[in-house]
Amino acid sequence: MLLYYELKKIFSGTGNRIALLFLIIFLGVSCYCAVTDINVRYTNEQGEDERGFSAAQKLRKAQLTWAGPLTEDTVAAVIEKNARIIATPEYQSDDVTQNNIAYGWTMDYRALRDVITRSFCEFRSYDYYRINSLTPADAADFYPNRLKTLKTWLDTEAKDQYSQEEKAFFIARYQEMETPLYFTWKQGWESLLEYAVMAQMFLVLTLSFAAAGLFAGEFSNRADAVFFSACHGRGKAIKAKIGAGILFVTGAYWIYWGAYSLFVLGMLGGDGASCMIQVGMGWKSIYNITYGQLYLLVSAGGYVGTLFFLFLTMLVSAWTGSAVVAVTVPFLLIFLPSVLGNMQADWLAKLTALLPDQLFQLHLGVQYFYLYRAGGHLVGTLPILFVLYTVLALLFLPCLYRVFRRAGKR
Amino acid sequence: MELRLEQVTKRFSDLTAVHSVSAVLDSGVYGLLGVNGAGKTTLMRMLCTLTRPTAGQILWDGEDIFEMDMRYRKLLGYLPQDFGFYPDFSVQDYLMYVASLKGLRPAVARARTEEMLHRVGLYQVRQKKMKKFSGGMKRRAGIAQAVLNDPKLLILDEPTAGLDPNERIRFRNLIGELSRDRIVLLSTHIVSDVAYIAKGFFLMKDGQIRHRGSMEEILKEAPIKAWRCLVPGEKTDALRNRYQVANFKTNAGGCELRILSDQKPAEDAVEEVLTLEDVFLYYFGEKAEKEDAAVL
Repeated sequence: MLLYYELKKIFSGTGNRIALLFLIIFLGVSCYCAVTDINVRYTNEQGEDERGFSAAQKLRKAQLTWAGPLTEDTVAAVIEKNARIIATPEYQSDDVTQNNIAYGWTMDYRALRDVITRSFCEFRSYDYYRINSLTPADAADFYPNRLKTLKTWLDTEAKDQYSQEEKAFFIARYQEMETPLYFTWKQGWESLLEYAVMAQMFLVLTLSFAAAGLFAGEFSNRADAVFFSACHGRGKAIKAKIGAGILFVTGAYWIYWGAYSLFVLGMLGGDGASCMIQVGMGWKSIYNITYGQLYLLVSAGGYVGTLFFLFLTMLVSAWTGSAVVAVTVPFLLIFLPSVLGNMQADWLAKLTALLPDQLFQLHLGVQYFYLYRAGGHLVGTLPILFVLYTVLALLFLPCLYRVFRRAGKR
Repeated sequence: MELRLEQVTKRFSDLTAVHSVSAVLDSGVYGLLGVNGAGKTTLMRMLCTLTRPTAGQILWDGEDIFEMDMRYRKLLGYLPQDFGFYPDFSVQDYLMYVASLKGLRPAVARARTEEMLHRVGLYQVRQKKMKKFSGGMKRRAGIAQAVLNDPKLLILDEPTAGLDPNERIRFRNLIGELSRDRIVLLSTHIVSDVAYIAKGFFLMKDGQIRHRGSMEEILKEAPIKAWRCLVPGEKTDALRNRYQVANFKTNAGGCELRILSDQKPAEDAVEEVLTLEDVFLYYFGEKAEKEDAAVL
């Protein structure tokens, strides 16, 4: 019964209802951004841009013509087709409309062009027109280039940045990737993951208003005296509060995240879950995982991050008795790294890659080249982020209980 | 059933809010009287385990209340002076919530909630959000929550603040009914609220209990008498400067004064029955404050 009334407190508060309304608006904004992303725009035969569900369907249909193992022959065929297009008068014309018509012919291999570009550019560069200077014979270098550019980078630009052991670690991870990769339409996952950071941060910042009031509300409503002088006021009732917090955060996260995922994948298609991320945005990643696995990581990371931020908010709220102070904590922790990020120091970058906001940016985290030593082993950012913040979030709960239990005796 | 306070002291940095208070309370109603800032609320908060004494101890049937923890709070009902609630809850939800906080089983909680809603006259508005309640309705809801668990120790801090005369009478009757087989400690600075229902009184000032006992004992101890005299308007200032005036009424024939003094203040002054309010005024009233200030 206590749990029921604690949840009722959350949902009956006018401020919390407004926050939930904002959450629905933010969900709509995130979904809109994901399904209208530039990579989901379709340029038709007249050179006109199309957006939305029908554009995604056309793009999907066009790109599925290349579905299958991404062999050297496939790469050669893409390079050949591209060469034919860039030789056309439309492509070479000075008229933008003509150029757009030529661009429309590339819709089917647009995603493949991206991964070919990543392969044939230097490790830390991206030249969109690189494919134009390739010949079908270059296709043989498509896979070897991945390891070759890494080694070159490690021997030159990043020469002093890593130890020999760390360099060997990266190389081993690259060598573990099985080829050929499988290609299919995977834009649904890419857009979903791209805008996940925005969706999840909106969620955390909005929920923090409700979480901040859960404990501080007893003080701001001046209901603390009755609460703490009651039989269960320093025991079961605090556990019920914490339980309500966990249920609220968990329910809100998974409903919100589920709705976002279903909408984006429903609009753009869920094909490509079993494609390796190296066939797209994760070409250089040291994590040999599929889009489906990355989605699970991002979902779990978002959940751990949400728990961490909101439990911390609750802890500060219980500690200070002030919802205003508590609500600033997630804002600071989310926006502080972007301030630190402007400072160009390697050690700082390595440190900021472990800050809790990174749990909402795991699709970028899989592309980081940061290694840490834990228990005598080299590990990337992902395992550390998961273990560190899961443990901290869980540790907050007994702290929350103890802090609030003592709060009434101030 | 015994609540014992032994040399209870509470200090906040350089301020001693409660100073070496000792008392023994058994079944019945007790009035804790004192002006604002006397230390009543701090003392009550310690009795409700909301704050710990800096020194001394509070015992319930010989056991330290802070060690009893939940077992003690199960016996307790408390209406704080600054009574707060959840503005978006209906009074029914609020009482059900407090009932579960107090460890009442759902069926009992429902029955007690309904009973208390009837007793405090809020049954008709039980679904109304508490933020829409008047001050008196909120206070009645506060009284209802305090007695939900049929407490053995009921602590009421300024329970009649904000109540209209009818509500105060209803409240007095309710406390009278509830006083059987339990300890009720009620703080107020409105003496008439407790004068006729309390079996014992504690008169508190500057964190200390200065006077205690039954009404008869306190009246007997007071070194004053109450006098009524009718004087011409121009003489009132002289009397007011010299004596403590409990009441002042302007009549056609002059001014009727109620004077507190050990001596007859005027030739035609008539002695009247001394009341607790007179004693309270004598100890804690404006003149007493001035005298204290002069000593300091």
